Amino acid sequence: MKRLPIVVTIFLMMCCLAASPALAGQRGDQFPDGGALNYGEYGRPATLDPITSNDMISLRITELIFNGLVGIDEKQEIIPELAERWEIEEDGKKYTFYLRQDVAWHPREGEDAKPFTADDVVFTYDIMMHPQTITPLKVRYEFIESVTKVDDFTVTFTLKRPILNALAKFSFKVIPRHGLQNQEFLTREDPFVQAPIGTGPYMLKNITADREVILVSNENYFKGRPHIDKYIARPFADQNIMGQALMFNAIDMIVLVNHRDIPQLQGDKRFVMQPYNALSYSFFGFNLRNPLLVDKRVRKAFTYAINRQEMLDSFFNSQGTIISGPFAPGSWAYNLDVQPVPYDPQKAEELLTEAGFTKNGDGIMEKDGRKLSLNLKVPIAKESEAVKRVVLAFKNYLQKVGVDIQPEFQEWMAWKEDIFLHHDYDLMYASWVFDDSADISSLFHSAEIGSWKNNFGAFSNPEVDGLIVEAKLTLDHEKRRTINRKLHEKIADENPYTFLWTLTNYAGYNKKLRKVAIHPYKFFSFADEWYIPKSEQR
Amino acid sequence: MRRFSQYAFEISDVSHVSFWKKAGPMDRVYIGYGLLVVLLVVISYLLGATGALPYDPQEINLELIMAPPNTGGHLLGTDFMGRDMLSRLIISIQAYFLPGLLAIGIAIVFGTCFGVFAGYWGGALETATTYVSNLLNSFPRLVLILLMVAAFKPDIYYIMIIVGVTNIPVVASLIHSKIQFLKQKNFIEAATALGLNNCTIIFKHILWHNCRSVLIIQATLGMAEAILMETSLSYLGFGVQEPTPSWGNMVQAGSNYFMQGKFWPSTAPALAILFAIMGFHLLGDGLNSMLERKGDR
Repeated sequence: MKRLPIVVTIFLMMCCLAASPALAGQRGDQFPDGGALNYGEYGRPATLDPITSNDMISLRITELIFNGLVGIDEKQEIIPELAERWEIEEDGKKYTFYLRQDVAWHPREGEDAKPFTADDVVFTYDIMMHPQTITPLKVRYEFIESVTKVDDFTVTFTLKRPILNALAKFSFKVIPRHGLQNQEFLTREDPFVQAPIGTGPYMLKNITADREVILVSNENYFKGRPHIDKYIARPFADQNIMGQALMFNAIDMIVLVNHRDIPQLQGDKRFVMQPYNALSYSFFGFNLRNPLLVDKRVRKAFTYAINRQEMLDSFFNSQGTIISGPFAPGSWAYNLDVQPVPYDPQKAEELLTEAGFTKNGDGIMEKDGRKLSLNLKVPIAKESEAVKRVVLAFKNYLQKVGVDIQPEFQEWMAWKEDIFLHHDYDLMYASWVFDDSADISSLFHSAEIGSWKNNFGAFSNPEVDGLIVEAKLTLDHEKRRTINRKLHEKIADENPYTFLWTLTNYAGYNKKLRKVAIHPYKFFSFADEWYIPKSEQR
Repeated sequence: MRRFSQYAFEISDVSHVSFWKKAGPMDRVYIGYGLLVVLLVVISYLLGATGALPYDPQEINLELIMAPPNTGGHLLGTDFMGRDMLSRLIISIQAYFLPGLLAIGIAIVFGTCFGVFAGYWGGALETATTYVSNLLNSFPRLVLILLMVAAFKPDIYYIMIIVGVTNIPVVASLIHSKIQFLKQKNFIEAATALGLNNCTIIFKHILWHNCRSVLIIQATLGMAEAILMETSLSYLGFGVQEPTPSWGNMVQAGSNYFMQGKFWPSTAPALAILFAIMGFHLLGDGLNSMLERKGDR
C-alpha cells in the first residue's frame, strides 16, 4: 500500500551533460572535476529539509545541501564548518561561535545569493524549538537555554546546565531565514521542505516526476567547488531491480546493499563494496506485563536457546557482530567485557525448569497450568525476507526447548499501535538506529513507560534507573564511561531484550568513483571530496 | 401433484440424456484435466493428513539454504530457510482450497439471492439490488482488502470474504439476466398457473434446471480467482503469512533470487499456479459447453 511498485526506467542511459569545464585544482587538490553520480535508494524521501525529515533517505540528501556550525571529520573529531572558531566559557555553560564571513546561501532562480549570517543560526534554533514545528530534533536541543546574536557573525548559546560532548550537538544543519514562507515555524506544508536552499556543496536543481532528486555542484562552496558535477538520487521500489540497475550501470552506487546481494557484488571486479558501521542493532523485545515473562530467568532462557551465530552466518553472510547489551557496538559506551551468552539449549531448559516450568505431554513448557505459548508480533514490509528468516528461525530454536512461538505478521501501523499504544503483545522483533550519542534512557528508564513511549516492554529496575540518571548528570567522560559499562552489564543480566546483532552496512559503488569516504550515519558528509577520473566521466 | 410438476419439468426443456455423452471430445479433455487438478487437491490433503510427504514442510535446515533441485534428496531443492520445496508445494494448495470455497460460497449464495429478488420479483427489489450491486462494484477490491488487513490482520479467510463479497454483483447480474430471459419462455407462468409455489419454481425450475451451469462455472472460476488474488497480495506481503506455505508467498520469496540465477524456488510454484488456474478455467469451460448443449438433442 505504501510501496506500490512503480515503473522504473532502469535501462534509460543517463546522459551526463558535462558542465562548464572547471579548472582542476580549484579545491587545492589535484583531482579532476566533472562527472555525475547516480545513486539508488530503496524508497523516496518525504521531505528534503533537515528539520522535518525523519527518514534516512532525506537525511542523506540534506547532508549534501546543508552545513552545521561544526562538522565531524573522518576520524570522528569535531572540525569547524560554518563557524570558523568558538569559545567555551562559564564552565561550559556558554558557547560563542564566530561564523565564517564568506558563506553564501544557494541562490534561488533569478535572485542573487544572500550571505549567511548569525540571524540564520538564531532563526534555525527558533524554528526547531517552536511548538508547532514537528521535528525529531526538539528533544535533543532542550539543553539549550537561549541563543543570542552578538553581531552579524557571532552567536552565543547559553546552556541550562553544562553537558558532556555539547560541541558535537552543534552539528545541526542551519536553514536560511529568507528561505521559509512561514517565519515562525516549519511544517511539511511549507514549500521549503520540497525546494530547500542551503550552504552545502550541492544545490537542489529539481525533482523529476519520478521523484528523482537532482543536485548540482555549488560553484561557490566555501570549502571549494566539489569535484563531481551532479548527484542524482533515484528511488527504487524493488531492491532486486536496484541491484540489477547497478549491474547494468544504470546507477553508480547503492547506499545500502541488501545482504543477500553482497556475495555477488563482492565477486564482481567492476564494483567496490565499502563497509560502514551503522549505529544500530536488532533485538527481540519482551513484554514484561505478561506474568510469564516477569522472571528474568525465563527471558535469559530465550537468549540461551537461540543460535545467533548460525543465523548471522546463514542469513547475513556473517556480516555483523553479535552483541550483549543495550549500546551500539560502535559506540564508546559499549562494554566489550560483557560476553554475549553462548548458544546452549540445555542451559535454556535448565533455566526454565528453575523458574518453575515443566514440560507437558506435547513437549511445551508449562507452569501452574499456563503454557509457555507466546505471540511474536512483526510488521510486514514488502522487503522483509531477512525479518521472516530471523523470525522463523527463532520459532524453530525455541520449539526445541519447549516454547511455542506464534509469529503474527501485521500491517505497519497496526503493529505500531499494538506495541507502543496498546502494549498488546508478548514478544516483538525490531531494530534501533542510534545517532552518535550513547543515551539509552528512553529505552529502559521506568519513567518512559506509557503510550507511544520507547520503553514499551515496561522494563523497570531501580538500579538501572539510578545509573541512567547518573550517566546523564556527570560531566566527566571517563566517569560516564564507567557508569555506562555498569549499565551495560546490568541490562545484559536483566535481559529485557534478547539482543541479537549489529549488521555491517555496505555501500556498493562503481569503481570509477574515487576517494570515497563514508560517514557511518549521515553517509555523504565527505562527498565533496569524491571524484571521478576524467577518462571515466562518460 | 407429482404429475403436475412432471409436466412443468417437461416444458422447462430438459432432456434425460446423460451429460457426459453430450460433451464434445475437447470438453471431455478439459473436464478430465480439471478433475485431475481437483484430484490433486484431494491427494494433497491425504498426504498432508497422513504425513506421507517427502519431508516435513516446516522443517528448517540452515545448512541447506537455497539448494538446487535434487540435492540431498530434495527433488525440487530448498527455499530460503532450507525447507523442502516439493513438500511445501504439495501442501500449499490447502492454503487456498477452504478459503476459496468460502469466497465461492459467499458469492454464489448471496449473488443468487440478489439475482432472484431482482429477476423474479422485480420492481422495487430490482432497483434496490441494482443499487447495492453498483455500490459493491464501485469499490476497488484491492483497496478493500488492504483496508481489511490494516483493520484486522492479514488472514486469508478475511481476504476471501472480501473476494466473495465483491463477486456477489457478478453472480447476481448473471442470475438476474437469466431469469429475465426465462420469463419470456412462459413456463414460469405455466408453473404458476399449475399452482406450484414460488419456492418450487425458483429452486427447482429456475435455479436447478436452468442456472446450475452458470453457477458451476462461476464456482470453478472463483477458485482460480482466489489463487490469483492471493498471489498478487503475497507480492505486497499481505497474502498467506509464514510459516504457512502458499504458492503466492513461495513465488514472492523465490523472486528475490531469480536475478541471481537461482530460478527454482520461484519457478516451481509459479508453474503450479499456472497449471492449477488453467485446470479450473478449463473445467469451467468444459462444464459450460457440456451443460449448455442440452438444446441440440
